[in-house]
Amino acid sequence: MSLIATRGLTKRYGDVLALDALDLELEPGVIGLVGANGAGKSTLIRILLGLLQPTAGSAQLFGLDVVSDGLAVRRRVGYMPEHDCLPLDVSATEFVAHMARINGLPKSAARERTAETLRHIGLFEERYREMRGYSTGMRQRVKLAQALVHDPELLLLDEPTNGLDPAGRDDMLDLVRRIGTEFGISLLMSSHLLSEIERVCDHLVVIDTGRLVQSDRIVAFTGRTEVVTVEVDGSAAMLAAYLRERGIEAHEGRRTLELHLADAASYDAVRDGAAALGLGLVRVEQGRRRLEDLFRDEAPEEPAPV
Amino acid sequence: MTLYAGGLRSAFGLGRRTSAKVIPFALAVLAFVPALVQVAVGALTSRLDADVDLFAHEDYFGYVQIILILFCAAVAPELVGRDQRDRSISLYFSRAVSRVDYALAKLAALVSVMLVLTLGPQMLLFVGNGMVEDDLDGYLRDSWDLLPPILAGALFLSAAIAGVGLAIASFVPRRAYATAAIVGVFVLTTSVAGILMETADVSFARYALLVSPLVWEGAILWFFGARPDPGSEIRDADFHGAVYAVAGVVTILATTALTIVRFRRMQA
Repeated sequence: MSLIATRGLTKRYGDVLALDALDLELEPGVIGLVGANGAGKSTLIRILLGLLQPTAGSAQLFGLDVVSDGLAVRRRVGYMPEHDCLPLDVSATEFVAHMARINGLPKSAARERTAETLRHIGLFEERYREMRGYSTGMRQRVKLAQALVHDPELLLLDEPTNGLDPAGRDDMLDLVRRIGTEFGISLLMSSHLLSEIERVCDHLVVIDTGRLVQSDRIVAFTGRTEVVTVEVDGSAAMLAAYLRERGIEAHEGRRTLELHLADAASYDAVRDGAAALGLGLVRVEQGRRRLEDLFRDEAPEEPAPV
Repeated sequence: MTLYAGGLRSAFGLGRRTSAKVIPFALAVLAFVPALVQVAVGALTSRLDADVDLFAHEDYFGYVQIILILFCAAVAPELVGRDQRDRSISLYFSRAVSRVDYALAKLAALVSVMLVLTLGPQMLLFVGNGMVEDDLDGYLRDSWDLLPPILAGALFLSAAIAGVGLAIASFVPRRAYATAAIVGVFVLTTSVAGILMETADVSFARYALLVSPLVWEGAILWFFGARPDPGSEIRDADFHGAVYAVAGVVTILATTALTIVRFRRMQA
């Protein structure tokens, strides 16, 4: 049974088609949802949460329809909205515990889970202060904490790095990745920045103007294992010839060559070849294609709105 | 259930800074003042064997009505406006909370805190009057029949003010506007009804009473089996008391439905 499934999912706001007959089938894991602003990312997430009603089509989480089984679905998910959602005149502890109680946790359990969650997301003494005094980074953490406090099976994060400075962005992405890997919680994270998704997720869904562009494992997009660039301090052509003799295809530049490496034996061949020819290896780099290269046209990057 | 409890807490500003607590607590205390005065005066004068009845049960709601309205105007926006302003409402609606339950929990919370202000002073007055009398048993025997109308009146009044206040507040997220709107609606309907009774044909104008806060007064007088004062609008309109009660219940149901519709349709 798939984690997220949509069939012909359509959402229309007046004349604007936000989602256009979207068909998705996603297995549990850390999923990135990429698209330019206005591509329909938030709309999709909000429909999955029952915050919006689809115009046509259906969506399922855990095999349950999000409209007819809305309450059962929402019991098992956590949601971090893109927009501000914190009451600023209460403390993080008070707020997160309240949200845990709303999810049906008994008082003592709610308090325990709150302390635990706030510790995980890196909020310590500050958690007893009014949230008014919090930085954007701290507020984003609290938003994440309230989504996590009831131990959901799936987290829906809508632009979790929105408004953060580069350092805060890194922290948030690390946190998200840790939640995905260490806690084993499935996660759907939207972003308009491919680089973020690439760092955190193992599955990528690209949508544009409400239509699915591609849905695949990140590895399939980047071809991580394929191309290696080797730079030498002498003639790259000699090394290329050496490798070709051993059945390894290589394309040479002036001082570099690119070759398809399947296994460790190929690396050994490069090393042995360089040693035999008396060449110095300047660098051996996985010439991993960046996701941006693939989608430069489909998903133009835009600066994050602050 | 948690929403309800949370509503009670936020109504009195618990868990928040002191400034959030001042107004609700001050108004709550004010609502008790007449009862305290009556009991105190009763205690002082009981030795003189004079029967001083400054604030009677059937009139009490009338005295504190303006305090009740102000309290509602202060608290209702706090209950339903904050979640909309902070946009934390989408956190509730994305959890296992149905929108109808959300609306009803907020209403229940507001009715409950209103009950503190309506029932509380009445009970203080009742018990206080009993203590002042030398013969407590005798007092209870004579006066127990006051309890049903006190309970009914308190519940009726709490639900009516809360229903109207919450419906308005749910449509007006900005606190200052919501407070003004709630007070405004109560004042406006009262004065419109009053003016119509003065100027227009009574047989027609008296229906204006049914959509004004005077409904409560009429219904509560009926609960207590008391006659309205001569010259008052309620005397002039000459409805049967039950008409007020029905009009009040209709108001409560209609405003509750309105609040539910508001939250069902709300874009979270």
